[in-house]
Amino acid sequence: MTALTLPRRGLARLRPARVPLAWRNLVADKWRLARASAGIAFAVLLMLVQLGFEQSFFTASLAAVEQLNGDLVVQNASKYRFGTRNPFAPKDFETIKTVAGIATAAPLYADWVDFFWTSPVDNKPHLVRVFAVDPDAPAVFSIPGIADQQTRLKTDDSVLIDSESRRFLGMNRNVTEAKLNGVSVHVAGKFSLGPDFMSDGTVVMSDRTFAYFFRTTPAAMPIEAAVIRLQPNQNAAEVQKRLTAALPGTLKVFTKAELVQFESNFQAKLSSAAPIFWLGALVGFVVGTLISYQIMYTELSDRMPQYATLKGIGYENGYLAGSVLRQSLLTGIAGYVPAWLLCLAVYRVVGHIALLPLHMTWRVTLLSLALTLGMCLLAGMIALRRVIAADPAEIF
Amino acid sequence: MSQLVGFDNPATAGGAIMGRRLRVSAYLAWRILTDEKGRTALAFAGVLIAILLVFIELGFFIAVPQGGMLVYDHMRFDLLLASSDYQFQAQPWQFPRARLAEAASVAGVTKVTPIYFAAGSWQDPSGGDLLDVFLIGCDPNAHPFRDGDIERQQDMLAQRDTMLVDDQTRPIFGPLTAGREIDIDGHRMTIGGSYRLGTGFLGIGVALMDEANFFRVTHRRDDPVNLGLITLAPGADIAAVQAALSNKLPDDVQLFNRKELTRHEDAYWTTRTSVGLIFGSGLVVSLIVGLMVLYQTLATQITRHLPEFATMKAIGYGDASLAAVVLIEAGIIVIAAFIPAAIGAMAVYALIRSETLLPLALSPGSMAIVLFGVLIMAAGSAFLSLGNLRRADPAEIF
Repeated sequence: MTALTLPRRGLARLRPARVPLAWRNLVADKWRLARASAGIAFAVLLMLVQLGFEQSFFTASLAAVEQLNGDLVVQNASKYRFGTRNPFAPKDFETIKTVAGIATAAPLYADWVDFFWTSPVDNKPHLVRVFAVDPDAPAVFSIPGIADQQTRLKTDDSVLIDSESRRFLGMNRNVTEAKLNGVSVHVAGKFSLGPDFMSDGTVVMSDRTFAYFFRTTPAAMPIEAAVIRLQPNQNAAEVQKRLTAALPGTLKVFTKAELVQFESNFQAKLSSAAPIFWLGALVGFVVGTLISYQIMYTELSDRMPQYATLKGIGYENGYLAGSVLRQSLLTGIAGYVPAWLLCLAVYRVVGHIALLPLHMTWRVTLLSLALTLGMCLLAGMIALRRVIAADPAEIF
Repeated sequence: MSQLVGFDNPATAGGAIMGRRLRVSAYLAWRILTDEKGRTALAFAGVLIAILLVFIELGFFIAVPQGGMLVYDHMRFDLLLASSDYQFQAQPWQFPRARLAEAASVAGVTKVTPIYFAAGSWQDPSGGDLLDVFLIGCDPNAHPFRDGDIERQQDMLAQRDTMLVDDQTRPIFGPLTAGREIDIDGHRMTIGGSYRLGTGFLGIGVALMDEANFFRVTHRRDDPVNLGLITLAPGADIAAVQAALSNKLPDDVQLFNRKELTRHEDAYWTTRTSVGLIFGSGLVVSLIVGLMVLYQTLATQITRHLPEFATMKAIGYGDASLAAVVLIEAGIIVIAAFIPAAIGAMAVYALIRSETLLPLALSPGSMAIVLFGVLIMAAGSAFLSLGNLRRADPAEIF
């Protein structure tokens, strides 16, 4: 027995290592490769679309926070998410400005439940999100169209509107005069932010105009958030400490990154959409595994004589198994690449129609690639049994 | 020869022969399927999962917009009176209370009950997050809700500064135990108990109060109102009363019967938000995946049985007969996979129903839609795979 196996081992070591068996098998039949690649591509596309949706919901709900133009942000400690009205007293804002190390502090006023935009589409009032800024203060948002146009808000009753708002609000149309809570406002410009799950559209106005709607003055208006920029060479953590010490305990000082993290934690905890998309991605994975198995099974059945021959001349199961798994992975990649490219188009079209920030990211790319390779590997391993069972004596 | 393939002879073509020809094709399809049971089982499993996916996506597509109907489905009314600016349940706008009395004076109307909605804030008296809560104000004596828990706790609702909470209110609100004190808009309230209608698209938390408490908390008066629930006399013709009401009432209000309301809320969530598009595209992708799975299966089987198909061609079977074999094969796989997929879908629906309270149900309508969809899918994949059949050249195959 030992005497028999030794020379076989010796033969195996003599194998022409540079013959890329997996690759040759893969490209041997172009038509079959195209078919296999299409089958896998659709499963991959399904996963990519689902993962993309999952991510875009998240991205959309974080969009406003991520565009805050500052190093530190102060808001009420009891504010559980960014999108809820819970402002603090203006006198605390005065305190903020006195803390050492701060270059500028800009107030942000916001409201999510009290403003109704009369849509030119149906002439009916629709709830919109409103952000109000001091046009003389540094820009609160780095959103193009807000930062560079905020001086236009100095004219009373002027507003900027989000051209990416949901279509039924008609903000993408050519509007110059509009009504907000029945009051005529002048549209001084547009910006692009996009809706999230809570708000269909966004209007930006000056603090004076905002105060007018609440029958008060800008100086008396409670502030939703203070957006702070530091002097050069200041340590954010130290200024954060000084601010926390100077302010009452009802206020909380976030670094920009902390605020984004805080909001994304809330969204992750609350979002009921995420599991739906994960389920979809899982189904894509299962379908992909089945398709991939089917491909490998056929492939191995058809090449059984060749595998048996290889075995007969001394190649070991380990070598053949490696070749099969390599081929399975290569098939996966052959399906992945076209799916990824096609998905760019799908994201573009669907993102445009649904006003969702559907973008190809490293996260989605790597996650879907890992899932694809995982499903092909799994399918390859199940299909392997046939090669291992191949008996050179029986096959012919 | 002529006996064996006589049905291919144009001279003998006829209805009975067509039938026989189909029977032969069907028999062949069956033989191919039962030839390699392992492979057939695999194909069957793939198609089953694809159909299950179609069911799930369709279920979400239909059910998610119905999240907007969770509360309405448990309200007692024949007609809903709403502002002409009504958007959807959580944005109903408002109208003068006088419209209720005007509606009540129309023949056939027995009762008109006002419903009040407001956005409130929820905070534990010890501090912590200031949470958004959706407030519903009603007169419990008018029995606006068809819900055992609410009816049972009617006396609780009537108590001063007491409210009921929907137990689908998110965990971030803390325990919803009876007796817990909560500041609503800074007004100290006590949780009297809970009920379960589901929060749907109303928000992350919902609390129900009687009118007196609602007005105290929100600083509102009984005029204007947000919605009016109209109950008709037993046996009244809903359409006729609706027409009479529309004539009588000014155009600052509008009326919905249940069907119109369902359609309105559904359309709002399907077309105005991204909900419809997301699950709609999921549905399309799932159909395409099913098509590919089935195509892959059929194409593989054709390739494997190419010698047999070529032999059949050589002995005189026409392309149509061979195509019929593939079509019938696709049909058998799809129909066989459809039944367990439908059963699986029922289990998945039940799970989602209990998790989300969405009225996800396998209606005959959605069954028919899926069956129709997958049959199209089967035909599509069969036609796609016919290309492989053309390679069945008797002269080349051996």
